[in-house]
Amino acid sequence: MGQYLRSLDWVLLGATLALVTYGLLMLYSATHEDTNISSPFYYVRSQAVGFVLGFVLLVIISLSNYRVLRRFRTYIYGANLAALILTLVIGSGSQEVGANRWIELPFFSLQTSELAKLLLILSLGGVLSEGAELRHRFRFVVFTVLYILIPSVLVFLQPDLGTALVFGAILVTMLVVWGIRLPHLGILGGGALVGAVLVLRVLPALGLRLLKDYQLKRLTLFLNPESDPTGLGYQLTQSKIAIGSGMFTGKGYLHGTQTHLNFLPAHHTDFIFAVVGEELGFLGAMLLLGLYSVVIWRTLRIARLSSDLYGRLIAAGVAGVMIFQVFVNVGMTIGIMPVTGIPLPFMSFGSSALVVFLMAIGFLQSIHVHSVAGQER
Amino acid sequence: MILEPARRKRPPEDESFVGIRVGVLLIVAFALFGVVALRLWFLQILSGDAYVAVAADNRLREVRVEAPRGVIYDRNGKILVENRAGLTVGILPMAMWNPKKNPQEFAAEISRLAEVLEVPEGDLLAAYDRAKKDPYVTYPVKEDVPEDTVVAYLKEHGEEFPGVQVEKAFVRRYPLKSLATHVLGYVGEISQSELDREEFATLKIGAHIGKDGVERTYDSYLRGTDGWKTVEVDAAGRPKRFLEDVAPAPGANLVLTIDSELQAAAEHAIVEGIQRAHEQGYVNAAGGAVVALDPRNGEVRALASYPDYDPSLWVGGMSKKKFSELNAEQAHQPLFNRALNGLYPAGSTFKPFVAAAALNAGLITPESTFDCSGKFSVAGQTWKDWLQGGHGPGVDLIEAIKESCDVYFYNLGNLLYQQQGPVLQDGVRRFGFGQTTGIDLPGETDKTRVPDKYWKREHGNTAEDKLWKPGDEINLAIGQGDLLVTPMQIAVALAAIANGGTVWVPRLGLRITDASGNVVHQFEHEQRAELGINPRILEVIGEGMILVTSATGGTARAAFEGFPIPVAGKTGTAEKKPDDDYALFMAYAPAGADQVPEIVVVAVIEQGGHGSSVAAPVVRRVLEAYFHTESGGTEIIPVTE
Repeated sequence: MGQYLRSLDWVLLGATLALVTYGLLMLYSATHEDTNISSPFYYVRSQAVGFVLGFVLLVIISLSNYRVLRRFRTYIYGANLAALILTLVIGSGSQEVGANRWIELPFFSLQTSELAKLLLILSLGGVLSEGAELRHRFRFVVFTVLYILIPSVLVFLQPDLGTALVFGAILVTMLVVWGIRLPHLGILGGGALVGAVLVLRVLPALGLRLLKDYQLKRLTLFLNPESDPTGLGYQLTQSKIAIGSGMFTGKGYLHGTQTHLNFLPAHHTDFIFAVVGEELGFLGAMLLLGLYSVVIWRTLRIARLSSDLYGRLIAAGVAGVMIFQVFVNVGMTIGIMPVTGIPLPFMSFGSSALVVFLMAIGFLQSIHVHSVAGQER
Repeated sequence: MILEPARRKRPPEDESFVGIRVGVLLIVAFALFGVVALRLWFLQILSGDAYVAVAADNRLREVRVEAPRGVIYDRNGKILVENRAGLTVGILPMAMWNPKKNPQEFAAEISRLAEVLEVPEGDLLAAYDRAKKDPYVTYPVKEDVPEDTVVAYLKEHGEEFPGVQVEKAFVRRYPLKSLATHVLGYVGEISQSELDREEFATLKIGAHIGKDGVERTYDSYLRGTDGWKTVEVDAAGRPKRFLEDVAPAPGANLVLTIDSELQAAAEHAIVEGIQRAHEQGYVNAAGGAVVALDPRNGEVRALASYPDYDPSLWVGGMSKKKFSELNAEQAHQPLFNRALNGLYPAGSTFKPFVAAAALNAGLITPESTFDCSGKFSVAGQTWKDWLQGGHGPGVDLIEAIKESCDVYFYNLGNLLYQQQGPVLQDGVRRFGFGQTTGIDLPGETDKTRVPDKYWKREHGNTAEDKLWKPGDEINLAIGQGDLLVTPMQIAVALAAIANGGTVWVPRLGLRITDASGNVVHQFEHEQRAELGINPRILEVIGEGMILVTSATGGTARAAFEGFPIPVAGKTGTAEKKPDDDYALFMAYAPAGADQVPEIVVVAVIEQGGHGSSVAAPVVRRVLEAYFHTESGGTEIIPVTE
């Protein structure tokens, strides 16, 4: 046990707990004055429950051996698809976008697309490590693309464009660490570009609309938010105002006017970063980015130190998710990235996501414990 | 869970470049975060101040608290205009349906609101266009909305009217109804063009200002200073906190020179005069005016114009329907202030001023006489006297005024025509004819006219018509021809005769007082000019005018039968073709040696016929009210002119 404790990545764990605490504090600030909730702690309590559950899972997973899962990759993949299909069939969701995102469990509403990220990393990691000898075969790369395309389509149908894009980020980072040949990566990038142009420009012109109107609008609105001063453009403008008006040190915790007077929409979910920017200013934002940097650095370090390819790939996938989600979410709030509905890891309200990210940290700890570095310490 | 690693044969890994590949990912991550940090630096440090200002704009609303307007009193402290609480219906654009996103709902709401408020839809849409420039501020669309019907309905059906709000506001109240309506004027919302004027530089859209009458002239005193509240609002525009509160400073009160009782008597007398004109067969008589002036200082004691209207129609904005009703032909222009702006030939009321001009020029003396055979001929043209057969031989000035002998003044006109320069015109202009009086009311007409050869040269229709001929001067000498005067001008001119030669600027504002009645500002009486005419001349003219009301053969003798105070008067029956004759009378009292005249009264009844039988009784009624004498005199007054 002492060896186990000494083998843990305490820096990663510390940074993770700091992020969760930071998130709970900002969530309280963002929501305690909301009028549609029964208690000022409504959201914080719900998120804290997710944290407790996630932390228990983190500990259990870190105590277990991640390598076992490689054998079950096909079952994991199948379960993942089943859960996503089930979500489409019986899932519940918000009325206004007509999306099905959650499966109601007896004690928990599970957002299957969040869990799907982790399950996909685990199963794709298995596939890639089994196919380590096929690095020179472009066909195998194409196979992995198809492999993630199926769950991508399923979440896209919810519709959840953001998670589908996260799946893409997972594939790319895992392929890079796996050792994809550069020409193959180039073809993959070119294909993605062509696909994007097809979906965004060509197909709509031909009358085939893969993306709903609101999705298309959201993707391009950040370039000119003033063109829609009442709807989403209003949100983007208000987010920039919130962050900009925070200046160097912010307006003070619980004193963000944009947040508390409701000018900032979705301030507890997609736009929680704007609350940080407004109330804690440039310093608070840099502190947050610093914590993410530590987590990502430690995650990639684990990828490098992992004693096997499977662990390396899992760590790479987790790093990919975090890099992509942090950049796209923060980028959206500051007006340099489109609106895709991607939440901020550990910060945005949503206990499914929090539990899944804590589980991912658990896997990272497990890899660390089993790695050479972990053994040597 | 199993801690032990699975011991299975694993495929060999390609361990080459692992560090580099992971390193690339780390570099990519840090590069992306670097972009974010740079952007944050730009937003928060470089542009922070601008965003702070925008955030403040977002949440802070300045709500104007309109200052209650000052009260207007008559000279005896009677309230003419005060304030009462009214309910204003306004629109808050940001809370309404968006006309672009929900055009049907928006249109439906506008049409429902138009129906309930009885306001044209176009007006509401125009108001919405103005209001949406500041969509978080309630913009008034209808003031003084009845509480028990309209407001109750709006509240009951609140869900059908998103963004429609009811607020308390002060509106004007007129306890004496239409009394002195032309003096008081009205109050209305400031217009865009008015906002651009310097005098209203401190005002904002939605403010109320005096639009006419003394409300307009003394607006800066009456208006007060608006207060404001700084309110912190949330995104839905709901007020959260009051951050700052500056109480409004109520406007100061205005005391007028008007005596409301005399004013009421004057207004009533015009109605009586019109009735009398109708009885005498002048069925077209429909309008009239009375001016009562203190000749000692120019204070206006009464200024009446008939027909009048209810000034409370302006409260909350006059409806188009009402406005067109008031402007209909059969309404006879109730909005028009005849006392100040009615343009009339003076008729025989002009004769005393003509006489003063001739006497002052030394053309005649009071003893000079002319023979009156009933007609006068010069240059092949003949003028008739109003009295067939004439006033006999040897008519002197006093008799000419008393009996309003036309032939005497034809002779004066002929004499004046032969002088070098415009002796007659200059003489009467000293009394203020042909110029604005400078009264403290807006919009005084500048169309009055004392015709002379220059005017004729400019306005004549033909070469022949452009010449100033003896006939023009002779017509002018009896107050006819192209002469145009206003009742106010006659009153100011007569006051100068009554007070021995001072032409006053007539005044309605007496003083400004604060809420506790302390005098804040006392308005000075203003002399426009001294006539520079020998007071003896004015006395002689006054003697003739006294005989008008008192001597046998005086044209207004019957009208003033039994009146206990000596009155100096002059009748006028002015021709204004194709209209029926206009009845005029002017008087001052008490008149005579050792008397100090206190009041000048001028009355005009449009198309009322004779000055002696229609206008003179009107003046008598006003004088009775002024001197509080018993109403008397014969009801049927014979026509003498």
